[in-house]
Amino acid sequence: MITGRLWLFGDDVNTDVIHPPAFYSLDPDKVRRGLFHGYDPDMQPSVQPGDVLVAGRNFGCGSSRETSIRAIKLNNIGALIAIDFARIFFRNATNNGLPCLTFTDPGDLSRLHQGQRIAVDPDAATLRTEQGEVLPLTPPGEFVRRIWAAGGLLELLPKAGTARSQDS
Amino acid sequence: MTGRTIADKIIDAHVCDADDTAFYRRVTVDAVLGHDATTALLIDDFNRRGLSIWDRSRVLLANDHFSPPATAERADISNRFLAFAREQEIPNLMVDRGICHQLLVEHELCQAGGLVVGADSHTVMAGGIGVCATGMGATDILFTLATGTTWLRRPQTIAVRFHGTLPGQASGRDIVLELLSILGESGAQYRSLEFHDESTPRLRQDDRFAIANMAVEIGAKFGVFVPDEITVDYYVKRDGALLGTLVRPDADAEYERMIDIDLSKLDARVAKPWSPANVVPLRELEPIRITSAFLGSCASGRLSDIQAAADELADRKVHPDVRFVVIPASMAVFAQALRAGYVETLTTAGAIVNHSSCGACGGIDKGVLGADDVCVSSSNRNFRGRMGHWQSRTYLASPRTVARAAVRGELAPDLYGDRGDDQP
Ligand code: SF4
Repeated sequence: MITGRLWLFGDDVNTDVIHPPAFYSLDPDKVRRGLFHGYDPDMQPSVQPGDVLVAGRNFGCGSSRETSIRAIKLNNIGALIAIDFARIFFRNATNNGLPCLTFTDPGDLSRLHQGQRIAVDPDAATLRTEQGEVLPLTPPGEFVRRIWAAGGLLELLPKAGTARSQDS
Repeated sequence: MTGRTIADKIIDAHVCDADDTAFYRRVTVDAVLGHDATTALLIDDFNRRGLSIWDRSRVLLANDHFSPPATAERADISNRFLAFAREQEIPNLMVDRGICHQLLVEHELCQAGGLVVGADSHTVMAGGIGVCATGMGATDILFTLATGTTWLRRPQTIAVRFHGTLPGQASGRDIVLELLSILGESGAQYRSLEFHDESTPRLRQDDRFAIANMAVEIGAKFGVFVPDEITVDYYVKRDGALLGTLVRPDADAEYERMIDIDLSKLDARVAKPWSPANVVPLRELEPIRITSAFLGSCASGRLSDIQAAADELADRKVHPDVRFVVIPASMAVFAQALRAGYVETLTTAGAIVNHSSCGACGGIDKGVLGADDVCVSSSNRNFRGRMGHWQSRTYLASPRTVARAAVRGELAPDLYGDRGDDQP
C-alpha cells in the first residue's frame, strides 16, 4: 500500500518538464533536485516519500532519458496514476519497478485534487481518498506484474553462469 | 485471416517465443543503437552484473550529445561512455561523427525489414527506409545488449497516405506538422504509423526521415514508410546493392484508421510553444520577433535541409538581431555541404555552422536559450524548457522557414509573400 499526497498534472506532461535536461547527470543528488524544476521549483523540496503523481493523458511523452524515472524514484514517489502513459515512459517506469496504473474510468480524474491524501494499492489496483472514496484502477497485465514482483526488468536477466533465461 | 501491416510482418519475422496469445511478444533484434547520454546510465548495472554483449557487431554507439563536451562533468560522462565502448570492443563506435540517428541510417547495420531498438526516442527515424525501429530507455537497452531480445506488444497500425504534389517551398517538416495537428501528441500512442507515399513526384528521402523522426512526437512506436524505388535507390547508393528485405503491407492489411493528406494543399506550418502539436499555418501566425534560429537536430540537419537554407541566404544577410546556428546531422552531411559550397554561403551570410552533434536541440550547448530568447527551430520538440530557460519560447518550422525567419528577424505570416505563393 502506498500512502501520501497527490500531485496533480494535466495532459501531455513531457519528460523535459518532468526532469529538465540541465539536471541530466550521473550524480544522484543533482538528478533528485531536478524533478519538475522549471514547472514548480518549490515542488521537489516538499515532496514526501509515498507521494503519488496523478495526471491526464499521455504522461511522460518525449525523451527516453531514464533520468526522469530516476528523479521520481530518488524522491521516493510511490506510484504514478494517469489516464494513460506514453510508451517509452511506461516501459522505463515498469522496468524500474515503479508502478504506473491507469484509471478504469478516465472521468475519475476530475474527482481528485492537488494535495489530497490518498492510498494506492497496486496489487488490488485501487485508489482510496481520505474521504473514503475508492476509485478502481486498471490492473496491470501478468507480464508487468512479473517485472514488479522480480523487482525490475534486470532481475529477469539470465543469471551469470546459466545458459538460458528462466522466462520461457 | 486478414492481411498484415508492415509492423505485423516485421514483428512476426522476429518473434522468438512460442505463445501466440501473449500480450507482449519476445522478439530478437537486428541492431541496437546507443549514445553517450543514455548509454552512460546503464554502464554501472551492466558491469556490476558481469554481463557481456550478445553480439557486439550489431551495436552502434555514438557520442553525439556531449560532442565535444561543454563541461567537466559531461567530459567525465563522455569518457566513461567511450571507455565502456572500447572495453566492450564495439566495432561500430562512432566518435564525434554526428547524431546517432543519422549515423544509424548511414550504416549497413540498418537494413530494410529489420527490427532495431535504440536508447533514444528518435530511433523511430530509421522507419524512413522501411525499418521497424523504436526508442527505449537505458534499462530496456541494457536487457537487449545482454540478450539480443526485447519484449514488444503488437501495435495497431494507422495508415497515412500522401498524394498530390508537394509545393516546392514545403518539405517533410510541413507534412509531419500537419499530421501532428490532425493526431495530436498522443494520436498514435502505442501504434505504428505506416506511411504510403503516393505523391508525384515521390517524397525525397530526407523528407521521409523528417516525417519518420517526428512520428514519436505523435506517440508512435514505429513510423515506417512502405519501401519503394526511393528506398531502393537509397540502399543501393549506400551499400552498393539492396541487402535487406523490402517488407510491404498486404493489400487487405487491417488498419485502425486511414488518413489521407493531399500534399498539393500544404504550405508552411509552424508549431507554437510549447507543444509540437500546437500547429498553425504560418500564414495565420501573428508576426513575432525572434532572437535565435536553429537549423539542425536529427529531425532536419540533412543535405537538402542545409541546401534550402543556403538557397535562402545566398546574397542575403542574417538579421543583425538573430543568432542563426546550423548543425549538419553528421560529418558525412557536413562534408557534402562543404563540397556543395553551402557552408560558405551560410557563413558569409552571418550564420554559425557548428560541429555535427545535438547542440541546443536538447538544451545541451552551442545556442542554449535564455529567458528572453524566442527561437525558430527545425528540431523536433519545443517542449517548455527543453532548449534552455523555462521562459524561452521555441517555434518549430521547416529549414526553409527557419532560414527565412533568420533573414527577416521575425516569424511572420508573409515570409512566403502576401499570398504565400512566393517562388525563389
Ligand atoms: S538532435 Fe535532439 S532530438 Fe535528436 S538525438 Fe539529439 S537531442 Fe535528441
